[in-house]
Amino acid sequence: MVHSSASSTELYNYDIVKKFAIASLVWGVLGMFTGVWIASELAWPFLNFDIAQISFGRLRPVHTSGVIFGFGGNALFATSFYIVQRTCQARLAGTYTTHNFLFIGWNLALVIAAVGYTMGITQAREYAEPEWYVDIMITAVWVVYFWVFVTTITRRNQPHIYVANWFFMAFILATAILHIFNNLAMPVSFTGAKSYSLFSGAQDAMTQWWYGHNAVGFFLTAAFLGMMYYFVPKQAGRPVYSYRLSIVHFWALGFMYMWVGTHHLHWTAIPDWTSSLAAVFSILLLMPSWGGMINGIMTLSGAWDKLRTDPIMMFMITSLSFYGMSTFEGPMMALKEVNALSHYTDWTVGHVHSGALGWVAMITIGSFYHMIPRLWNTTLYNMQLVKAHFFLATLGIILYITAMWASGIGQGIMLREFDEFGNLANTFISTVVMSHGPFVVRAVGGMFFLTGMLLMVYNIFMTICQAKREERASIEQSVTA
Amino acid sequence: MGERDPLTGAETTGHTWDDNIQEFNNPLPRWWLWSFYATVIFAIVYWTMYPSWPVASSYLKGLTTITYQTDAGEEVTSHWNTRALLQRDMQTGKSAVAQKTYLKVIEDSSYDDIAVDADKMAFVESYGNGVFGDYCAACHQSGAGGVVGEYPNLIDDDWLWGGSSTEIETTLKAGRVGFMPAFEETFNEEQLTQVASYVLSMSGEENDATLAKAGEEIFQGQVGGCHLCHTSAGTGLKSQGAANLTDKIWTIADVRGATTPEEKLSRVKSVIHNGVNRVMPSWSSRLSDTEIKVLTAYLLNKRATGDQ
Repeated sequence: MVHSSASSTELYNYDIVKKFAIASLVWGVLGMFTGVWIASELAWPFLNFDIAQISFGRLRPVHTSGVIFGFGGNALFATSFYIVQRTCQARLAGTYTTHNFLFIGWNLALVIAAVGYTMGITQAREYAEPEWYVDIMITAVWVVYFWVFVTTITRRNQPHIYVANWFFMAFILATAILHIFNNLAMPVSFTGAKSYSLFSGAQDAMTQWWYGHNAVGFFLTAAFLGMMYYFVPKQAGRPVYSYRLSIVHFWALGFMYMWVGTHHLHWTAIPDWTSSLAAVFSILLLMPSWGGMINGIMTLSGAWDKLRTDPIMMFMITSLSFYGMSTFEGPMMALKEVNALSHYTDWTVGHVHSGALGWVAMITIGSFYHMIPRLWNTTLYNMQLVKAHFFLATLGIILYITAMWASGIGQGIMLREFDEFGNLANTFISTVVMSHGPFVVRAVGGMFFLTGMLLMVYNIFMTICQAKREERASIEQSVTA
Repeated sequence: MGERDPLTGAETTGHTWDDNIQEFNNPLPRWWLWSFYATVIFAIVYWTMYPSWPVASSYLKGLTTITYQTDAGEEVTSHWNTRALLQRDMQTGKSAVAQKTYLKVIEDSSYDDIAVDADKMAFVESYGNGVFGDYCAACHQSGAGGVVGEYPNLIDDDWLWGGSSTEIETTLKAGRVGFMPAFEETFNEEQLTQVASYVLSMSGEENDATLAKAGEEIFQGQVGGCHLCHTSAGTGLKSQGAANLTDKIWTIADVRGATTPEEKLSRVKSVIHNGVNRVMPSWSSRLSDTEIKVLTAYLLNKRATGDQ
């Protein structure tokens, strides 16, 4: 194994993959810590200490950007560059400078955005909070990313483009379109932070949620499916279950997702027909989503014993199960009648986290445990820690989701309850009082998940140290020989 | 072209990536395909029933209809839409009708009637709880006990602007501006101490008699002019929202929360020094006359029962 990897280190560019992988872990810990902190602020409000910069509203986008674009984004750069090189048998296009432009540009943009949030600088568009100057940086990075990825594919030494790369290309292309259109804005001045959107009213809201839901669809789903399509068959040592299913669900997913964003705006001042279309396409999206889940889970057929023996496989299969669960829950919540209950409650928050923690984070964690030792040409420092991480993460997610179901559905029911006089039976504040218990459980669930991430960082750190030791030993050996 | 897998017997596509990644050419799972068809049928039915696809400058309206009355009382049947749904629900929904009926009864009743009728009062309690909780409790607190120094207590017997039903209604509709000038430039430190001592003496708090005597002259005379609003007897003027200083109820200076006489004195001094500037917003644009009536009856009852 050492020999084959040594040759692949020469063939492939792993330096940039390593950088993005480490950045991803750093952002993961920071972003998740911020998440635990703001969850704790909701449970114990004194924790904002009356400091505006660390109040919930300012830190919330720091958390979401940190985990989505910091942890998730860096992980996607890392894995997409690893996968595209290995499945194309071609070295990554671009030079040292190109790659570092991507690495520094992306992470610097995120830092500038995050510092801005704490100072109150935001476009107030969910998941697109950065102001115009950060948007321009991201656009520049993204265009170069697109070029590097596509050029590498055109230089492949393989007749066929592997399915993972289809998903990555769809992700990169769609994200470019979404990012650019949703952020069309006019700065008040080129020396100031503030800008105004080119859209207004219902169109503005619909553009934002066209972006918002496709950020989920292409950034947090398609791209991570790309990750799944490489690392699951690799880790399982089994062929992908069905090529045909991968084609059908790829195109169905890409086609359906673009229509559903408006389900975030049910029962608001948008035309009714846009609302119905969004609801229906959300239902149509159910089976295409499950196609990915089936293809991943069924890849294990012939190797089911790995579910007991291989903690990395446990992460991957559990992530696919959460993916299946949240892509069932999502279409249900997109139905207007269900949405009337679930919207503006914690149910939405729980749903997002079953996707974000259960699917996105767990597939990334499983993939990293597979990829990182191979990047450094070694084996994982401690597999027992991976198992411990798996149980901490799973328990954390379950606590989180069940707490949010309890508070979210509770809020929905309380807010629509009438008494015998025909009056609303509850005040808003009484729903807050009811939610306190679940808020505490949610914060504890987050702490479990964060603790697991800290174990991972320790394990990866020790793995890299071990790799350096092995490298020194092998050099000394070759010198003495 | 593909190979057969010895474990499952499935055939691969014959492609291999990165040493060992292959794909089976398994057909789409039957149950997956039929479930997908089922969602397509659902979609077609939904599109037939409800507004769906845009066509030219209009859209398909769907077969579902809603019958409701316009504001002019005309009966209209329209394709399903959110506005008509809301209209119909507000006109014929069980809760909406019940609430409307009760509100009409309250509109036609006097405050005395409401106070003695258990059913009306039960409605006022229920409706008032919601309105108070959503609009008033943010300042006056859920129990209406207020916050000393910030927001008045609504369940004690001390009403700065008057506690009759008419006065409470006026307060709710027009809002109030509670103002007392700051005396930081008028009084020096000694005078501040004197006036504060006199104020404390009015409600029987421990004080230095000499200082209080000097304070009385300032309070009742031209220098302070305090009596103009608080009256010579110190009982206050409701038309000005000027507090009664003799009733041992402290709404701004938290005298009861102070433990030593020095602390009490300093708290009263700081109010005189800084003045008072409080605003209660007007609710006439947010709440209807009937809602304000319900809220007034709710507050009168809360005070009468001392219900926290």
